[in-house]
Amino acid sequence: MNDAVRLQPEDFSLDKEVAALRVNSKRIGGIITFLGCARDFSEGREVHEIVFDVHYDMALAELLRLRNEAIARFDLIDARIIHRLGSVRAGENIVLIVAGAEHRVGAFDACRWMIDELKARAPIWKKEITLQGKSWVTPHL
Amino acid sequence: MINVLFFGPVAERSGTRQIDLDFREGLRWQDVRDTLRARYPEAFEIVSIVAVNGQRVGEQETAPLTDGAEIVFMSAFSGG
Repeated sequence: MNDAVRLQPEDFSLDKEVAALRVNSKRIGGIITFLGCARDFSEGREVHEIVFDVHYDMALAELLRLRNEAIARFDLIDARIIHRLGSVRAGENIVLIVAGAEHRVGAFDACRWMIDELKARAPIWKKEITLQGKSWVTPHL
Repeated sequence: MINVLFFGPVAERSGTRQIDLDFREGLRWQDVRDTLRARYPEAFEIVSIVAVNGQRVGEQETAPLTDGAEIVFMSAFSGG
């Protein structure tokens, strides 16, 4: 459960993921995190739950590739990507990206790049459950 | 056998997540697409991404499939 890239139904701890990133290196000078959460409102409707569908093997392989690319491209010391699966209630965590680098600029740029690339490349689909019905989300890139 | 997978909105529109098709020599992923598009036109309206054996493929990739190949027809992703 301590892998740097995970797809999991259960919630995660931002503090534990940051600690896991820091444990292997004291050369990290900056850590940037992106925490994606489930909004309770979307396109005029109250959302109480989001359900994720995923091609697990392809998505995990893509996220592993993405992390490796980010480490090389932005000279990161380490990075972590965790994405929830299954059902997520409004207000809960969906995705966490953690980027650690010697300097802040690389960490900022890498964090933004990783979440943008995840949205474009990982075969994951979300369905919003509302009082008015259920609908698959059109991507917001 | 060719193993075809649908996920998310494509699975919902087609009413299925997995289909087995008979393999024949020379079969390309586009042949599979054409066969299934005729069967599930509403699902294929939103298909914009295709992967063969875990690798995304484009229209220009015409290599014949091998027996046991997995093809995934997908709509635009919406994770994160």
